[in-house]
This record gives sequence, structure tokens and C-alpha cells, in this order.
Amino acid sequence: MSALAIHVCDDWLSCQLSDLDAVHDARAAISGQHIWQEVVAGLDSIAVQFDPAQITPDKAENALREQLLKPRTKMVMPPEPITIPVCYDAELAPDRDWIAERLGLSTEALIDWHSNLRFTVAMLGFMPGFAYLQCPEDVPDIGRLSKPRQNVKAGSIGLIGDQSCIYSFSSPGGWPIIGRTPVRLFDPEKLEPALLSANQLVSFQAISRAEFDATAEEQGQ
Amino acid sequence: MTLTVIKPGLQTTLQGAPFSGHRHLGMPAAGAADCLSLAMANHLVGNAPDALAIEITLDDAKFAVERPCGFALTGAAAFLRLNGEEKSMHELICAKPGDEIHVGAALQGCRSYLALTGNIEAQSVLGGRSTYLGAALGGLQGRALQVGDIVNRATANAIGKTTLGTPDNLRPIISDRYIIRVTAGPEFANLTPDQQQFFFEEKHKVGRRANRMGLNLEAMALKPGNGAQMQSAAVFPGTIQCPPDGEPFLLGPDAQTTGGYPRIAQVIRADRHLIGQLRPNSTIQFVKTSNKRATEIYRQKLSLLMPWLGAVSLW
Repeated sequence: MSALAIHVCDDWLSCQLSDLDAVHDARAAISGQHIWQEVVAGLDSIAVQFDPAQITPDKAENALREQLLKPRTKMVMPPEPITIPVCYDAELAPDRDWIAERLGLSTEALIDWHSNLRFTVAMLGFMPGFAYLQCPEDVPDIGRLSKPRQNVKAGSIGLIGDQSCIYSFSSPGGWPIIGRTPVRLFDPEKLEPALLSANQLVSFQAISRAEFDATAEEQGQ
Repeated sequence: MTLTVIKPGLQTTLQGAPFSGHRHLGMPAAGAADCLSLAMANHLVGNAPDALAIEITLDDAKFAVERPCGFALTGAAAFLRLNGEEKSMHELICAKPGDEIHVGAALQGCRSYLALTGNIEAQSVLGGRSTYLGAALGGLQGRALQVGDIVNRATANAIGKTTLGTPDNLRPIISDRYIIRVTAGPEFANLTPDQQQFFFEEKHKVGRRANRMGLNLEAMALKPGNGAQMQSAAVFPGTIQCPPDGEPFLLGPDAQTTGGYPRIAQVIRADRHLIGQLRPNSTIQFVKTSNKRATEIYRQKLSLLMPWLGAVSLW
């Protein structure tokens, strides 16, 4: 077992990991342990926060090391795959046309291409329910907008290449927007407030503008 | 109804305890930016230290009293007036219907806390009631208070539990110059030795981008090596990140949960309440401490507060 690179940072610890699979594995190993006030995964690291009135940084570091090095006794199943409806209407997808042009595709071919890609949720972060997605397939680089938008609408699907994201709330943002989903990504009234969870497989299904409007109205978006 | 907002000022929100245990979903902490001033205000009115209070930012604010209540003001306000008459901060004051509470603008520091006897009503969400503006959650419809808004109390404590004001030696010093202790962040070593020395030897000025999400530190020109290769990783309130423009960003209570810039330092928990009092042009001297020392300082601070506030937690 290789030594773990743990950095202690006042009341939180960050452990550098090799890759995203190692992060998913580490999260499964330490989630639900009561000494951690927060468990936050990055793309190649995981961090935990503790209460320094209760335990010292040394003890916290030892506890984390022990939890991460302990042999796993049970397989952790990834969450159920999910299909997200996406409307590619130009009004909802302000960057659709230039993305299509850059990729040398017609609008129809772009929609067909994107709704056939499979993504995995790398992590949630940035804002409640905001999902970073990764696509294992070879996706040409699209790049970020040179000037971020002041107001990207909730549900917008960003695509910069093999990385994608879904905005859970309206906010400023610099990802090119290829479509928008009418479903709510974060509902604090639900037992599981975030629609998506890390390591979940995500695919997109094209819907019409009428279907988008109907669902959006239903969900109070 | 208890209070009606006559003048909300720049940004007045209902804030108490931070949200806890939801950072893995991307939910920030929110909660009072200066948790020590919050705890002191709440103590004076007989509330739990992290109960919801009214957080007032920089500008002056006015409230009309609709129901008899006790209140206390702590933090950065230059003055407190009741019907135009000067009143002391850090004391319990009784108000009756028709009174007007005027909280002065902050001449130094940034935020004040107006606590009321009893529990302020707010949207309860994710186990908390503080306002998170970024997603319009908690507080009063998840937004800052506006003219005409009503601050209600679900329950009203009897007035007069505390007769003394905050002891002088415990009143937080509100200043535009703070010494803030930090521990090294995971990417501190990405700074060159010269940059590390500069970070701790110079005083740093807070820039104009200063809000509950965080504050930029002006013109430090700290450009860490290997910065571009950093993968998104966890950040917390008090984390100091170094974006490519070389102006470090000190994260506040509403900061995002993950970031892609080198995390060069972490404000220790004992000093994190000071972030709530930083404003544009405040100067900061960062002092490096070990993690062991940071924990000792935190525990000492809690012990010092214990005789007055009882068991509290800072965040």
C-alpha cells in the first residue's frame, strides 16, 4: 500500500489521490464517519473537515489514514444511471450554432451526437447541485467563453470538450451552453436534495421546446 | 410581526448557524460572517449563540418596532439610536411599538448583528435557517431584506434575562487592520521562497471585490508555479486561493465548495470570524502558525469565552 499524501490545513485535511476512481473509492470509505463535519471530493483529492474543539489535527490525520487504508469489505455500487431531458432550442442554447460549426456538424447532427454521448458525474461543487461531468469518449476541445456570461440560466448544459456541466441555479458562468434541461437539479425540500450524485452515469435525451416548456412549468422553474 | 424594515442598507440578511454536512452537494456554509459578534448579540437577548439574527453590512439601517421586544447590537456599527437617542451597543435594550431602531453605518469593520429576544422566523432548509443568497435559500425568501419587509418571531423570550452588557475585555475590537493567523495550504509549496516570504512579511490590502463569497487581496502578484495543472479540489471559508492574476482570494462563508486554484493558506478557525469584519482597503498581516498551535489557540479562545457565553462553537 503506497503512503498517503495527507495535508493538514487547520481544521480540514486534504488527501491527494491518483485519479477520480480513487476519489470515488475514498469517498465510499469515509462517508458516514461521524468525526467528519464535511467530506468534500475533488477531481483527484478528497478533503474532510473536523471540529478542533473535539479532536486534534494529529488524531484526525490518523483517523483519516486508517479509514483510507482499511481494506474494503464491501463493493460500493455506483448510483443508478440517469437520463436528463435536454432541449436544444437556439433560445435555450446560445452557443449551439458556433459549437456545431466548430465541430463541423449540422444542428441536427450536433443534437444527435450530443444526446448519444455518455457522461459520468465527476463531482458536485461550485453551487448546490452543480454537476461536473466527464465523457470517456474523445470529444474535440471546444474551450471556455472568452468572456463569461453574467447570467447563465438554471438547467443550462455546458460543454467544453470531454468535460460538461449542468448549472443548478442561474449564475454567472463561462461554459459554452449547448442546451437546457427543465428538471430541477437541486431541491432542498427533498431527502436527497441533489438530483445527481458522484460517479453516476448520465445521458441526455433530446426533447422539443413544447416538452421543455411543459416540464419547466410543472417543476416551477 | 416584530420589526418592519425601514432602511435595509447595502445588504442586510438573516444569518445564524452555517449549513453543515452538505458541502459534498455543493452547498456552501453561509451563516453569520462574524460568528463571534453574532454569539455576543444572541447572548445578550438570551438566545442560543448561533440563533438567527439580522446581519447588517457597512451601511446604516433602520427598523420600526411593531411588538414589544428586547434587542442587542454588536459588531461594526458606529452608533445605535432608539428614537434618535444614543444607546449602548453590547447591551440588552427594550423597545416598544412605535420605536425606531437606527443602526449606524460602519466607520471601521464591516458587519453588525442585531439580535432579538426570541426566535426569528425564517425558511427552514437543509437543517438550517441562514440566508444563502447564491441559491436563494433560507432566511426571508433566500434574499436580502428590503424596505417594508417584516421580521417576525416564532417565539418571544421574556425580556431581561441578561442585565449586564458584554464585559469590556471580551468585546471584539473592530478595526481596519487585523493580524490574521493562517496555516499553510496544500499548495503553499507552489509559491517560491520569495513569494512565501512576501506573503507573510508584507501587509495586504483588501480590494474592491469584497462580499460574503470572499475578498480579493490587492496587487500581491503571487503567481504560484504549477498553477495551471491544479485539478478542482475542496475549499472552505477562510481558504486563500491564488488565481492566475496573482491576486489571492480569501474565501468567505458563502464561497463555493470546490475550486481550481492553488490553496496557499487557511485562516485558522479561531480567527475566521475576523473575515466578517474585513472591507475594501482593510489591511491584513498574515501570521503563520502550525496546525497544533491553531488548535490550541482555538481551544483557548473558547475557554476565554466560556465564562460569559457558555459553550460556543466558532466557524
